[in-house]
Amino acid sequence: MKNSVTAQQQRQQRLLATLVLCLPALAHLFPILYMLSLSFKSATEVFEYPPNLIPAAFDFANYVTAIKSAPLARFLLNSLIVSLSVTALQLVTSILAAFALARIEFPGKKFFLAVILATMMVPGEVTILPNYLTIARLGWLDTYRSMIVPSAASGFGVFLLYQFFRTIPTELEEAVRVDGGSRFRFLWQFVVPLSMPAIVAFGVYAFVATWNQYLWPLVVTQTTEMRTVQIALGMFRSENEASSWGVIMAATAILVAPSILLFVATQKQFVRGIMMSGIKG
Amino acid sequence: MRTRSGLLFVYALLAPCLLVLGLFVLAPAVQSFYLSFHDVDPFSNAIFPVGLDHYREMMNSEEYRISLRSSICFVLYTVPSSIVISLFIAVMLDARPLFHGFFRTIFLVPVGISPAMAAMLWVFLYNPVAGYLNYFLSLIGISGPQWLTDPAYALAAVALSTVWKEVGFNVIFFLAGLAAVPSELTEAALIDGAGPWKRFWSITLPMISPTVFFVSTVSVIHAFESFGQIHILTRGGPAYATNVLVYNLYRDAFENFRTGFASAQAVILFLIIMGVTALQFYVAKRRVHYR
Repeated sequence: MKNSVTAQQQRQQRLLATLVLCLPALAHLFPILYMLSLSFKSATEVFEYPPNLIPAAFDFANYVTAIKSAPLARFLLNSLIVSLSVTALQLVTSILAAFALARIEFPGKKFFLAVILATMMVPGEVTILPNYLTIARLGWLDTYRSMIVPSAASGFGVFLLYQFFRTIPTELEEAVRVDGGSRFRFLWQFVVPLSMPAIVAFGVYAFVATWNQYLWPLVVTQTTEMRTVQIALGMFRSENEASSWGVIMAATAILVAPSILLFVATQKQFVRGIMMSGIKG
Repeated sequence: MRTRSGLLFVYALLAPCLLVLGLFVLAPAVQSFYLSFHDVDPFSNAIFPVGLDHYREMMNSEEYRISLRSSICFVLYTVPSSIVISLFIAVMLDARPLFHGFFRTIFLVPVGISPAMAAMLWVFLYNPVAGYLNYFLSLIGISGPQWLTDPAYALAAVALSTVWKEVGFNVIFFLAGLAAVPSELTEAALIDGAGPWKRFWSITLPMISPTVFFVSTVSVIHAFESFGQIHILTRGGPAYATNVLVYNLYRDAFENFRTGFASAQAVILFLIIMGVTALQFYVAKRRVHYR
């Protein structure tokens, strides 16, 4: 009797929640819809008042102009090269270090773990100026190296994988050793496959975090050819503000699309990565 | 692991990671501290010790004071509002609405978008003539401000696009917190005739208060570190209204070439963020202890 009352109430609640969420969802989606709407509008149509969300025609002229007036594909390629390299390097360096810290006893282990954890406390804004001076001295300004090498390791990555690697039973390790397998074989054939969920989630997290970097690429890149999508977009806007907002929004749509698609495609791993990054703060 | 070859193996595993973190995180952190007590000549790179001069200058600088105030205002604009909004959305999503996955995706999508990109999506919304923001306001009889060029509104405008982006991030954590609230508790309250409002205040909120606190501190840190959206929307202006700490640091480091002064600002920023993190650890520990 009481159960049916709560079941009914819960059904009502679900309907109510659905209705209540409609307006916030529409508001939340609005900036993205607005970007798409503007991207189809002509230079004069953008300033029509009152504004109309539905463009007069779904004309792709702005997209063509945007692609012609700036190397958008190059910007995307730059971001892809940098983000993939950083992700691959962070995965390799973190897996190796986490394996040593989690599975091998050696003198100084606590010290090394503490040092690596301490790096998680240092915000990027604090190291940016000394790092810039280093990169300039090395003659690396305006290269991919300048955006890849300083991010090749991650204290957070080590910390996360360290915790996962520790949960793998020692019996497994002993069995591999009895079979004559090396530690390295244990790492690649057992530890890594068993930790795949954590590795993938961290990989997605590292990729997006690098893709979304702003201050560092802004500081170390100089020529148009080396810009990543993040900083290219702001500069594209300043260069075209006088001519057409439709073209700017078409460029925005092209450059923001990969972020949205990546999120939708990897939502589960992505959310897990964000959750784990919570410990990092 | 006692043998020499075994130790070599361990160091080989650690070396790549330690080398990069040492050279590009730890050494520069120490260097920032060192440079904050020095002046660097931008042409010859010669270094002169100046003691506490940069810190003294910061304390007396009107510009830095305004910058600190802008950062604190930015925290106050973005953190409470994004927490209230995301808590509301998370509670609604937790009630399993129809099209649950669809709603969830809509609210979470901005998490994958950088603050700078989010700002680009918003920039024309702020347009005082043809933007939708002022159009919506005009529908309810309010004549909207010049969002990005009026010093009284620019920081709020930057905060708005930031909140839009941050809400999804918070919702992720609140959903996890809500999922951990035992359903027996809320069902018992339901049977006792407690309305949704009462249930939220007396059961849900106390149960997820650790999550709320955690999300607050992370959001405060995010707010202090904000840069991309400001570089896109206002470049620190108008009249220094959005010249937050990181923006001021960026200008002194890379536009005014005042390496020492910028380093002192980096040290202070570091201390602020460390303080928030320490608070988070301290409270989290106590909570676990008394539960």
